[in-house]
Amino acid sequence: MIFGSPLSPLENLLRSILDWLHSSAGLTWAWSIVALTLMVRLLLVPLMVKQIHSMQNLQLHAPQMKEIQRKYKADRGKQQEELMKFYKENNINPMASCLPMVAQFPVFIALYLVLRKFAKSHPGGDLSWLHGFVPDITAHANAHWSGYVLLAVYVGSQILSTLLMSATMDKTQRTMFLILPLTFIFFLLNFPVGLVIYWVTTNLWTVGQGLVTRQMMPKAQPPPKRSSRTPPKEEIAQDGAAPEPEPEPAVAQAAVPAEPKRVKRKKKKGGARR
Amino acid sequence: MRHALRLPTYAGLGLVYAYRWTLGVLWGGQCKYHPSCSQYALDALRHYGLVRGAVLTGWRLLRCNPWSRGGVDYVEQQRIFH
Repeated sequence: MIFGSPLSPLENLLRSILDWLHSSAGLTWAWSIVALTLMVRLLLVPLMVKQIHSMQNLQLHAPQMKEIQRKYKADRGKQQEELMKFYKENNINPMASCLPMVAQFPVFIALYLVLRKFAKSHPGGDLSWLHGFVPDITAHANAHWSGYVLLAVYVGSQILSTLLMSATMDKTQRTMFLILPLTFIFFLLNFPVGLVIYWVTTNLWTVGQGLVTRQMMPKAQPPPKRSSRTPPKEEIAQDGAAPEPEPEPAVAQAAVPAEPKRVKRKKKKGGARR
Repeated sequence: MRHALRLPTYAGLGLVYAYRWTLGVLWGGQCKYHPSCSQYALDALRHYGLVRGAVLTGWRLLRCNPWSRGGVDYVEQQRIFH
């Protein structure tokens, strides 16, 4: 077992927390898993608060970032690199970071190991959930119809949480995120139901957190398009015809410094070949 | 023989790819660094082998927390191993 030895301290910790929730707090095993999941997520809330702050900061700089994304549309690696430079120059702390996510990874595997041991040696007590809706949380998800219901809830919650968290993603990435939970069903069918309960709980937490975050976030400012269109309004009232191309020259001027550079590079290449 | 010695490294690379195609896609945050942590892990493993690559990856993951600044950070810029 690859994960057995390095994770056994964590496995023991999870096991003793579950034991405590079961015997002292008097929860069933299934509800103990839910409670444990909530505890893990509660511990991660400070990280989330920090992330909300950086997200607000990020929104302030959204127009410039959009510009960078547009400029390096063709080369995604370059685009990413330029964005990172922009963050650094403007003292932006990007919202996403790997650690909070990676930190949940061992918890997930350790819980899997705990549940597997449950299945081997019955821990005693009630292993069902919601008055027998799930007869045995250590059984595979495909052993009972309730497992399929839970899987459906899992897919729904996964898609919802993706929709809430994916504001900055591009379209293909987003589609992939939405399709993937469906393919995961085939793996999860052979997982203990308790693990699906963990996953559903943590997803629902993410959804709730996303909704709360949305409420707390200032609404994105309407793009500056309007401000450039408002002045001509008076002219429309007078002339009846809107001078539309007004904002165009500004954009063209902004793009001018980039254009000659490209031309120069092309010339250089041509020169080298000679 | 050389290939046999590199087998553990290949196993490590395999793990990173496995992560990328499963949980990475599912949970996948965009990383605050460029290249992303998983790409950094692949580069580190290829250049430094399993043990030192894993150390570099671990250190990168720890740095990729909500309090750090992020930014451009290539494996070649590391200062742990010489």
